[in-house]
Amino acid sequence: MDPFIEALKVKIIETLALEDVTPEDIDPEAQLVGGDLGIDSIDVLELVMLVEKEYGVVIDSKELGAQVFASLGALGAYIQKVQNAGGAVG
Amino acid sequence: MRVERLADRRVFITGMGIVSPMGHGVAETLTSLQAAASGIRPLTLFPCPFDTPLPVGEVRDLPNGDDFPRTHQLALAATREALGEAQSAPDMVIMGVTTGGMLSTENYMKQGHRQPRFSPYHAAGSVAEVVAEACRCRGPVLTVSTACSSGAVGIKLALEILRRGAFRSVLVGGADSLCRLTYYGFNSLQIVDRSGPHPMDRDRHGMSVAEGAAMLLLTAADQAPPHAVAEVVGGGLSCDAYHPAAPHPEGRGAREAMMAALEDAGLSPDAVDYINLHGTGTVENDLAEAAALKSVFTNRFPPVSSVKGSFGHSLAAAGAIEAVVAALCLRESFMPANVGWRHQDEAIGFRPLTAPQHQPIKTVLSNSFGFGGNNAALVFAGLESGKAAGNAKPARRLAVRAYACLTGAGGTAATLERFFQGVSCKGVLAADRLTDRLPPRSVRRMKRLARMALGLSTRTLEQAGTAVPIREVYFGTAWGALSETHDFLDKLYASNEFYTSPIDFVGSVHNAPAGQVAMREKARGANVTMTGGDASFEQALTAAHCLAAGGEHPVLVGGADEMHPVFSALFDPSVTMDDTPSDGGGMLLLETAGRGTQMTLQPGYFAAGLDMAEALQAVVAYHGGNPFFSDKIGAVMVGIPAARRNAVTPHLEALWTRLGFKGPVIDYRRYFGEFASASAVAAAAAMALLSRGAIPAALAGGAEWPLAGRCILLLGLGETITTMLAARHEP
Repeated sequence: MDPFIEALKVKIIETLALEDVTPEDIDPEAQLVGGDLGIDSIDVLELVMLVEKEYGVVIDSKELGAQVFASLGALGAYIQKVQNAGGAVG
Repeated sequence: MRVERLADRRVFITGMGIVSPMGHGVAETLTSLQAAASGIRPLTLFPCPFDTPLPVGEVRDLPNGDDFPRTHQLALAATREALGEAQSAPDMVIMGVTTGGMLSTENYMKQGHRQPRFSPYHAAGSVAEVVAEACRCRGPVLTVSTACSSGAVGIKLALEILRRGAFRSVLVGGADSLCRLTYYGFNSLQIVDRSGPHPMDRDRHGMSVAEGAAMLLLTAADQAPPHAVAEVVGGGLSCDAYHPAAPHPEGRGAREAMMAALEDAGLSPDAVDYINLHGTGTVENDLAEAAALKSVFTNRFPPVSSVKGSFGHSLAAAGAIEAVVAALCLRESFMPANVGWRHQDEAIGFRPLTAPQHQPIKTVLSNSFGFGGNNAALVFAGLESGKAAGNAKPARRLAVRAYACLTGAGGTAATLERFFQGVSCKGVLAADRLTDRLPPRSVRRMKRLARMALGLSTRTLEQAGTAVPIREVYFGTAWGALSETHDFLDKLYASNEFYTSPIDFVGSVHNAPAGQVAMREKARGANVTMTGGDASFEQALTAAHCLAAGGEHPVLVGGADEMHPVFSALFDPSVTMDDTPSDGGGMLLLETAGRGTQMTLQPGYFAAGLDMAEALQAVVAYHGGNPFFSDKIGAVMVGIPAARRNAVTPHLEALWTRLGFKGPVIDYRRYFGEFASASAVAAAAAMALLSRGAIPAALAGGAEWPLAGRCILLLGLGETITTMLAARHEP
């Protein structure tokens, strides 16, 4: 169990008020948007703010967002990649 | 307000005023439009932490002469021009407003002020009230708050009211100032183009938020009066009932609004000479509008342009500003350029006007669409175009089929049980109990007001018993979604204005609750949110009776206001005067009156700006004098906001004595609590009392009081004096 991913799950549940979802319910490889969790485009924008505020990682285009928010695993990997690169968005 | 048989009256624009990033006044605006100018520049109005402030449409050189918030000042400037040398006050004022005094509230909040009523002009409804006072209007003052379509919806409402014959002139318009809520809010939705707006362009990335005001004096007449500029010949409203912020991808609602407007005007699509697009410049909006246009204008595609590359998107003002633009096009025989357009988008498939074009035009269609899928389309005609046939339908009588309420005591049954025993229903019901009929996940993004609206609609429809295909939704709220608004600003300030919540932004608009009801019920007709202090529900009822009169489907009419621990006490002085914090609301299901036993709730008297003694006399006169009270009224339910109690009570006592009225007078805020839409709860309770046929002993002062077929008068004594008449009709 990746502690980074687990912490991210908790933040997402809290930010999106997914009251009936537990961290175990989120499969890191499953489709994040439009999947079983009922996450839609407005939620994605809320997550963009969360990621920028909590991790200093900016996601400011739709194309990038589509890749990054494909799954929780993809989101976690992108955040870590940018952070490891010293905050440069790439 | 009396809703009469549709008169065969035409409605003309006889005065116009405008202030926008394109200039002060009609003449400057016309010059800017004909030069294909743009008023879009980087923000200077308030400090912003971004390296480069976002481009906005800011009004330059606004004289800072009044103590009013900026929206009010913009509206007053446009009003002065629109009325010019007019000698008489308009019969009515209708405005579209969404931000109201928000900028001032934000400034105060930033400075840490938390005194009660720190912003007496915070309310969106206060703009129209200030305008009405300035022009000495003593008739109804109504405010539409349907986000970006507010101004256009207001014009449609004015059109219907004038057609009905009870009023001769309406000053109608829209106003909104820039503020942090909308500046950061739209940016958080990633629909602001950092290079300025490029409506309908291949490389468009969004809009520019803007500000401004436009006011139009509309006059009903058989033929064009002197000073007439153009004629308002039709309007159509619809709701996407699809998503809180994004348009239906095929532009379904946009198409329905345009079709309804053309039908209302009695015109075919081929008769349209020019279309003023909504065209904000966001990827989705422009695509949806393009799809709708291509489905309506199949035979001949008229010239089109969006002026939002010039004006930016001034939200509630936009529909009114573009009505002025439409009138100028007709008067001056020209069509403005779609400033900002460079490359054709194959997905859009047409090319807007790239330069102003001069040629005579007879008919303009103007689109305004907004959050919550609230769509409006208006049709304007030149004075030489000949009388439009019109297609106004006869008015129907609306009967109450079902009703519901929410108070601190719970839902309808729990509230009525306590109320009938004369026991207080005050309190704040837990959020999950408001929406106990709905799956938690379906309401997870909603805070309090939207949950109230859904709690009311599900309860009302539950009482109706069978599935009812709701077509239209009318909702009144004085303060809107206070929780979302507060949390948005709180988060913004906590992060030094870097981060905020897009979810709270989308939920903060006054029309979000009614939009949620429409989505749930798939109600694709008019979706109208009205606001105006303690008379907000009465405004919604008025709008329903005017706009739904020509339809045939069932409609919902409701009102609610939420108790917010910080904001409620700051905005509403009555809230601080009651030890028990309370909130709630009520809703009615209205449908075409049939032949059996039925109940009705009619809007009645509606006026502000009179002293209390004068106002009560006017109420009595409106309802036909003393005999009406002694013969027709079985009981009165009176709404006295706590802050007005001392001023009102002596006059009221004197009134009952003078009228010799012996029936029960139920002071309903003592049971329901201090919140602006308490009258919506009272309306539902009045229906229950009519069904019961008698006022219970606990409310009638000792012994049960039979209504004996008489009506219940609901008297609202807030800043605006209102009546509603609840009646039970036997076959």
